[in-house]
Amino acid sequence: MMEQDGVILKVVDVQKSFEGVHAVEHVSFSIKKGQIKALIGPNGAGKTTLLNAINGIMPPDSGHIFLLGQDLVGLRTDKIAFLGLSRTFQLVRMFSINNATVLDNVMLGAHMKLKPSLLESIFLRGKVEKEEKSAREKALELLKFVGLERAADTVPTALSFGNQRLVELARALMTEPRILLLDEPASGLNDAEVEDFTKLLLSIRDKGITILLVEHNMKLVMNIADDIVVLDFGKKLAEGSPQEICANPEVIEAYLGVTNKECDTII
Amino acid sequence: MEKLRKVWWLIPVVLIILYPVTIGGKSAYWSGILVFAGIYVILAVGLDLLMGFTGQISVGHAAFFAVGAYTSAVLTVKYGFSPLLAMFAGMFLSGTLAWVIGRPVLALKEYYLAMATLAFNEIIITLIVGFENITGGASGLRDIPPFGIFGLVLDNPLHYYYFVWAVVLMIIASSVLIIRSPFGRTLVAIHSDELAASTFGVDCAKYKTRVFVLANVFASIAGSLFAHYMGFIAPDDFGVSTSVNILVMLFLGGIGTIYGPILGAIFLKLLPEITYLVQDYELLLNGVILIIVLVFMPKGIYGIFMTLRNKAFARAGK
Repeated sequence: MMEQDGVILKVVDVQKSFEGVHAVEHVSFSIKKGQIKALIGPNGAGKTTLLNAINGIMPPDSGHIFLLGQDLVGLRTDKIAFLGLSRTFQLVRMFSINNATVLDNVMLGAHMKLKPSLLESIFLRGKVEKEEKSAREKALELLKFVGLERAADTVPTALSFGNQRLVELARALMTEPRILLLDEPASGLNDAEVEDFTKLLLSIRDKGITILLVEHNMKLVMNIADDIVVLDFGKKLAEGSPQEICANPEVIEAYLGVTNKECDTII
Repeated sequence: MEKLRKVWWLIPVVLIILYPVTIGGKSAYWSGILVFAGIYVILAVGLDLLMGFTGQISVGHAAFFAVGAYTSAVLTVKYGFSPLLAMFAGMFLSGTLAWVIGRPVLALKEYYLAMATLAFNEIIITLIVGFENITGGASGLRDIPPFGIFGLVLDNPLHYYYFVWAVVLMIIASSVLIIRSPFGRTLVAIHSDELAASTFGVDCAKYKTRVFVLANVFASIAGSLFAHYMGFIAPDDFGVSTSVNILVMLFLGGIGTIYGPILGAIFLKLLPEITYLVQDYELLLNGVILIIVLVFMPKGIYGIFMTLRNKAFARAGK
């Protein structure tokens, strides 16, 4: 399948069930390059399941997922990462064994670029150290970008939950992704932090990175999403611009509620 | 102070070189003890890469110690290989075997992995006992020739001491270089969270297998060094109790630090020399020490050492 109209990711008729329960049913949508697309819906609607299907952690039972025309279904997670897809997790997943620092975590994002090998680590020290140095500089730059440059040498568990999310974001950016999947990145952030985070996401988009965002914070979603997909009980309920979603009676019924002040601001 | 941090490793190297001519007093007995300590340092460092860094439990690390020792012994005794060539053959065989069994075995996790490695250790021992006409069976293989390099036969414990510790230092240096590289960071990521690591392009099975191969090639080298030093080997030297002993060294010294297991190995090998009065109770003593360490000092000997060092640096004023 060829790339059409600048489509970067195309989800086609994806289905996933767990022991007879349909978590995702016949969902299709596509994301254009450089867009911020939001995936919203009530808890248990299948949002995280869909993200897990896209990045290969839990492949779908049927359907196709195309990244720039290449089908991801059947590929292992690490192979999908090489194609330029990175993600963060709903509950942060930090590397914390052996006192790994925040900087170590972010630098792991350079794994695909460095492709570490045993023999090089021992015998080509000059090359390895040179590459490490530039990776470290880039990691520090990204930590600065998310505002955590001073936390570089601390262990991630010493940071607040919100800051650990930012480390995850920096780590994902370290892979130089084409598309970034973010699983509820703003949960647990206060209003001021959400505002900073909004700016951060917009500047990531301005770098040309496409974002697929699962989020419950409607203020964030309505402010930055170019396009929204609404899931309910595993099915696609609606798809469209924030204005269209806010005006959709079914979405209001299922998820947004009748009085939604985030919607009022944009209509 | 910064300079001292960079060259501190010269201190143990100098100690190793000077030891026989000073404290050791050129005594063959003490050189011999430290040959054993060195061999166990190799085993402990390899297991630390596999277990301390990559998080893959092995209760059968002595299996490839046996493969190395028996390859060396059989090839030199029965087929007239030179010990050096036999050692390389053992490394090649161990590496290949580890590569073949690595992927399926390391797909297992935690208890299951522990059971599988323990079973593998038992299988190797059973095979050695079973193939009696090649391996000498339960009664062992004798008359294994001593190591020789470039026509120089190392039948003097002092010479062998220097040879073994040269190998030990090379293995330690390689291991430290590995953990201080992106490779080491990848291992720690696999240890922390395989699923998250794979989202960063880490092929976990491949990296686990690589470390498994490396650790077992190290174990094989230790086996060859052991066989040619002893001149006689028997299956008992390589049983599960030996594997457990190596595990004790890791926890005693401080797992996941490379330096810790080195200290643990030396400590545990020297301990019987100091407490020889209770030698009959050596196993009991090991057990008691392990329990004390796990309960009261989970970071091991190296942890104590680091705490003291940090205090000293703090007192010296920044």
